[in-house]
Amino acid sequence: MSGETIIELKNVGVRYRRKAGFMRSNAFWALHDVSFNLKHGETLGVIGRNGAGKSTLLRLLAGILAPDRGVVVSHTDRVSLLALQAGFIPALTGRENAVLSGILLGMKRADVEARMDEMVRFAELEQFIDEPVRTYSSGMRARLGFTVAFQADPDVLLVDEVLGTGDAGFKEKSSAAMREKIASDKTVVIVTHQAETVRELCDRVVWVEKGVTVEIGEPETVVEHYLESIKSGSRRP
Amino acid sequence: MRRNNYFELIWYKGIADLHAEAARAYVGFIWWILEPLLYMAAFYVAFGMGLRGPGGGVVALSLLCGLVPWKWFSSSVQNGSGTIQANSGLIMQVYLPKYVLPGMVMVTNGIKFLIILGLLMLAMAVAHGVALAWLALPVVVLVEMLLALALSTLAAAIVPLLPDLDLVISNGLIVMMFMSGIFSDVDRLPPALAHLLALNPMVHVIRAFRTVLLGKQWPDWLALGGVMLFSLVVYGLALLLMKRYDRIYPKLLVG
Repeated sequence: MSGETIIELKNVGVRYRRKAGFMRSNAFWALHDVSFNLKHGETLGVIGRNGAGKSTLLRLLAGILAPDRGVVVSHTDRVSLLALQAGFIPALTGRENAVLSGILLGMKRADVEARMDEMVRFAELEQFIDEPVRTYSSGMRARLGFTVAFQADPDVLLVDEVLGTGDAGFKEKSSAAMREKIASDKTVVIVTHQAETVRELCDRVVWVEKGVTVEIGEPETVVEHYLESIKSGSRRP
Repeated sequence: MRRNNYFELIWYKGIADLHAEAARAYVGFIWWILEPLLYMAAFYVAFGMGLRGPGGGVVALSLLCGLVPWKWFSSSVQNGSGTIQANSGLIMQVYLPKYVLPGMVMVTNGIKFLIILGLLMLAMAVAHGVALAWLALPVVVLVEMLLALALSTLAAAIVPLLPDLDLVISNGLIVMMFMSGIFSDVDRLPPALAHLLALNPMVHVIRAFRTVLLGKQWPDWLALGGVMLFSLVVYGLALLLMKRYDRIYPKLLVG
């Protein structure tokens, strides 16, 4: 299985429309022309500056958006974002939110409930799990959000920017859990503007700038070129 | 995400929204009963009082037989029309087939309706006693559920594409309300007008509730069958639309 192409992007573009006054709207291309393959078992980094279209690219891979041009060929339907705090309702308890978020991320209710104790322990929320989430600190919310999202186990995991969340202690713990998952033969796409993360974790890197793929290849080479372009301030098309 | 999971999601999220609503308000779930009571009281004062005199109680119950199902229908369509917008945060994070969203609205509103219907049946039982024909109620409820789900899903599918339609829908619902036979018996209108109003599916649903609950007769099965058929066609159409724009809706929410 390893090495087989799971998702293929061919000259993909995504356009948003922005309302511009009375009965008018402007088209805005967040992605112009992006092409790459994602292979089974690899960790692919997508690097680029803010506004390069990284978030749009993730939504495209997750099947949330359809491309306006080009094609996306996907050989799995179990692709999803590491969606933190997806669907959280502040008025409900941590337990109810964990179940809701878990189901939203594709888990079965019974499975979430079966793993609840383990999750509560990991999130360090033993005393608070039956309190409404609106009473939580943002750190507590982040802990619960990460723990639930981490349990959902899609074939392809899409990660935005940071690996760890929460307060200092938990950040280390969640980051370690993520690294472990990435090191296994899980297929992962990490989108970031941090060169370090990419160099450390990825097998291959795609560099995207202004909605166009600039370079694909070994992390060392691509990251070096990316950093040079930042330093020189030039933006290759 | 496998398909059977979506039904679990619709059910759990529908119930969760209901919980959340109750948890937010000071007197919680009392509002599910209080709100429709206030609503019905307002109409009773406006329309029922003038009709009092001998048989005033019957008029009031007849009005309730119309208002209770109407409230369910109109809030479903109204909530449905805003549901993609209301869940924009969610559908940007997780892929969901969009038909699950009006489904959740259906669960939330349906449970509220059943509570009120229970109260109405209790009032009827005390005032007039029960009847065998009440056995037809689940069918009437099911027909209205299909109709509400169909139009709610259709509204949910179209409004993100044409946001201005939201206002048209809320005003259209008001017009439709006055043409649903809530306040007057459609059968007593001039035939030409009655035929025209018969095009409104809610006329048949409300008449069925009234016939069963108040008249203690079996409903007009043929008319209910017609409403059901209409609902299925509309629902099918709405699902096609949603499928067509499934991965386009999230983009419309960004701009």
